[in-house]
Amino acid sequence: MKKNEKCVAEVGKDVGFERIRRITGYLVGTTDRFNNAKRAEERDRVKHGLAD
Amino acid sequence: MIKSIKKRNGDTVAFDAKKIREAIHKANIAVTGEKMSAKALTELTEKVVSLIPPKKIPTVEQIQDLVEQTLIEGGFGKTAKAYILYRAEHTKIRQSEADLMDIYKELTFSYAKDADIKRENANIDADTAMGTMLKYGSEGSKYFIDNYILPKDIAAAHINGDIHIHDKDFYMLTETCCQIDLIKLFHNGFSTGHGCLREPNGIASYSALACIAVQANQNEMHGGQSIPNFDYAMAPGVAKTYRREYFKALANYLIIRFGMNRTDAKALAETVREELGVQITMEGADDFGAVLTNWLPRHQQAGGFQPITEQEAADAHEFAARTAWDQTDHATYQAMEAFVHNLNTMNSRAGAQVPFSSVNYGTDTSAEARMVIRNLLLATDAGLGNGETPIFPVQIFKVKEGVNYNPCDPNYDLFKLAMKTSAKRLFPNFSFLDAPFNLQYYKKGDYNTEVAYMGCRTRVMGNHYDPSREVTCGRGNLSFTSINLPRIGIEAKGDLNEFYRLLDGRIELVCRQLMHRFNVQCTKRVRNYPFLMGQGVWIDSEKLGPDDSVADVLKHGTLSVGFIGLAETLKALTGKHHGESEESRKLGYEIISYMRRRMDEESEKTGLNFTLLATPAEGLSGRFIRIDKKLYGEIPGVTDREYYTNSFHVPVYYNTTAYNKINIEGPFHALTNAGHISYVELDGDTCKNLEAFEAVIRCMKEAGVGYGSVNHPVDRDPICGYTGVINDVCPRCGRREGEAVSVEKLNELRKLYPHMPHFCGCE
Repeated sequence: MKKNEKCVAEVGKDVGFERIRRITGYLVGTTDRFNNAKRAEERDRVKHGLAD
Repeated sequence: MIKSIKKRNGDTVAFDAKKIREAIHKANIAVTGEKMSAKALTELTEKVVSLIPPKKIPTVEQIQDLVEQTLIEGGFGKTAKAYILYRAEHTKIRQSEADLMDIYKELTFSYAKDADIKRENANIDADTAMGTMLKYGSEGSKYFIDNYILPKDIAAAHINGDIHIHDKDFYMLTETCCQIDLIKLFHNGFSTGHGCLREPNGIASYSALACIAVQANQNEMHGGQSIPNFDYAMAPGVAKTYRREYFKALANYLIIRFGMNRTDAKALAETVREELGVQITMEGADDFGAVLTNWLPRHQQAGGFQPITEQEAADAHEFAARTAWDQTDHATYQAMEAFVHNLNTMNSRAGAQVPFSSVNYGTDTSAEARMVIRNLLLATDAGLGNGETPIFPVQIFKVKEGVNYNPCDPNYDLFKLAMKTSAKRLFPNFSFLDAPFNLQYYKKGDYNTEVAYMGCRTRVMGNHYDPSREVTCGRGNLSFTSINLPRIGIEAKGDLNEFYRLLDGRIELVCRQLMHRFNVQCTKRVRNYPFLMGQGVWIDSEKLGPDDSVADVLKHGTLSVGFIGLAETLKALTGKHHGESEESRKLGYEIISYMRRRMDEESEKTGLNFTLLATPAEGLSGRFIRIDKKLYGEIPGVTDREYYTNSFHVPVYYNTTAYNKINIEGPFHALTNAGHISYVELDGDTCKNLEAFEAVIRCMKEAGVGYGSVNHPVDRDPICGYTGVINDVCPRCGRREGEAVSVEKLNELRKLYPHMPHFCGCE
C-alpha cells in the first residue's frame, strides 16, 4: 500500500505474526514455508529445563 | 470386491486381479531359490486384493505398495526385491510423460501453501516465477536421473525409500559445498566470470566482495557456501581502512591546528606515510606515535617548513589515532551491516533464493579482527531494515580455550557478546575447537587448522587422500546420501545380527552409489566451474588450466553417508530410544560406531574421504516415514509421527533436561566426522538469562559436542516491530494475530520505540 492511498484508522487486519524457527541448521523467516513434516516436528518440540 | 482402479494419469479403469498375479509371477521367476507354487501365487494375489480398502478407488501405486508388503510378510524377500526392481523399471516404462507433466501441473497451478512439493526447501520461494522454473528443472532432472542414469537397484533403493540421494537433481552437474578462503581469493583481485575486481582497499569493499564471492560460488554448486575464517579474512580490510583514516585525520589536524592549506597538509601526511619507515597499525599506534613525535619536528626544520614541536606532533598523532579508530569502527559496523543485509537480500540461482551462506569466526585476537567480530554481532543484534531477524549468514562462533572460553582469554568479551546476540537472534551457533576430534588438527593462530562448520552442519577436515592437507580452506563435501535407519530397525524384527546384515548391505549400496556419482563428477573440467575452479577457490585448482580435469583436486573433498532416525531405530529394535534407556544408548553408540568404522574402511580401500554424516534432512524428515508408514503401518514410537527424528538426536517430543540431552548426544559428535549438531530448546525467559545460556554452551563444550546451538522462539509482530516471544497477544501493541490496531496507538508507541516499522496511516 502506498502512502496517502487511503487514510486508515487501523492497521494489521489479517496480518499474522512471524515465527522464526531453526530446524536443520538454517533459520526460516516464517513457518509457512516449512514442509508438513517440519511443521509437525516444530509443533512437537518440548522445552528443556536446566535443573538436573 | 473393488471394481476399478485409478491409473497414474488419473483415468479410472476396470480392476483386474490377474494383473497382480502376473506381476508377482514375473518377479518370482526372476529370482532363484524361492519358487512359488500356483497355489501360493493365487493366495498371495487374494491376500493383496483383500487388503485393498473397499470404499475408495485405489491407485496403482497403492496396490503396488500392498504387493510389496504382502511379499515381504509372506517371507518372499527375494521376490519382493525383484518386484521392487521390476516396479522401478516399469515405473519408467509406464511412467509416460504424463507423470512428470502431472508434477509440472502441480508446480504450475498450486500455491506453495497447498503443495508440499513446493515446500521441500524452506528457503526457496516456489511461488515466484524463478522459483517455479527452478522446480521444473529440478523435477525434470530427477526424472532423467532415475530413469536413464542410475543403476537400476540404486534407483529402486531411492524410490522405495531404503536410501535418499540428496540433491539428486544435480547428480550430473556439480558438488555440494566449499569453504572459501577469501584471503587467497582477494590476493591480486579476482574475476567472477562476468567482470574483474581489484584487490579491495578497505573494509567496506572487503565485505562487499565477500558477498560476491559467496554468491558466485553458490551458483556453481548445489549446496551452501562457507567462509571458515571470516575474522582473519576481514581484518586486513579493517587495517587498510584504519591506515587511510589515520592519514586523513592527520591531514585534517594539520589544516585546523596549523592553518596549512589542504594540498600541503595532504602532502605532508603522505610524506609521513612513505618516509617514516614504520607502518601505522591499530595495535602499533603508540610506537608509530613515538617515531612520528621524533621525526616530524626534524623534518620540518630540515626542509625549512612550518615549525612543529614534539608536543604538537604528539598531539597530532593522538588526534589522528583516536579519530582513525572511531572512523574505522564506524565503517566496520556499516560494512558488517551491509554484509548481513546483502546476504539476506541478494539473489542467487535465478533469483529463487538467497545464497546459503555461513561464516565462522571468533579466534582471531588482533584488534582489527575483534572490531570485525564485535560489529558483526552488533549488526546482527540490530536486525534488518525493520528490525527483522537475519536468516543469513549462518554464524558460527568458534569457542576455544585460551582464546575466548575463559574470562582471562583475550576474546572472552566477544564470546559473551556472541551469547547475548544468540539469545536474541538465534545466531551465532557455537563450534568447539577443544572437542578432541577437532583439537587434533588445531595450531594456534593458523586458521587453516581450525575446524569450521557449514550452516547445515557439514564438517570437512580429515584428509585420507592426502594427510598432508588436513586443512579447512578450499575443501568441501562432494555429495551425500542417507540411509533409512528406522526401516532396517523394523525389518530386523529385534534380531541384531539381521540388523547389521541389512545395514551392511545398505552401506555397501550407498558407497557404490557415491562412487558412481564421484565418477560422474570426475569427468568435469575446470571450465565447467569458472569461479570455483577457474579462480582457484577449490584447493589446488589454481594449478590447473581451463581444459584440465578436476578429478584429482576433487579427491580432497568428502563423500558422506548419512542417516536419520537413530531414535526410531532403537525404538524398533528394543522398544526404547537412547533418551529412555542406558542400554539403548549403548546400542545406539555401537550402531553409529559401526557405521563410522565402515566409512574408515571404505576410505582405506578407495584412498578417498568417506565420512559419516548426521544428516540435516531438510526434505527427508517426512519422506522416509511416509513410505514406511505405508509399508509397515503405524508402529508406536517408530512410524506414528509425521517425521523421523533428526540424525542421532534425542526425540524433540521427549521430556528431558538440557544437561541430559547434551550428554547423551555428545559422544555421537566424535563419530560423525562429516558433520553434526546438537540443539537445546529453551523457553524465552531462560534464554534471556545469560548465565543460564552460558551454562548450556559450557555444558556442550565439556560434553564433547563439536557444534551446537540453542533454540528458542523468536517471534515478531510486523505491525509494531516487536521481537521476542509472542504467545497469543503481542506484548507491545496488544493485538492478536490477524487483528487490527489503531494508528493512534501505534503513533503513541512510536514515541517509546522510534525504530518501529512504518505503515500506511494518517500522519
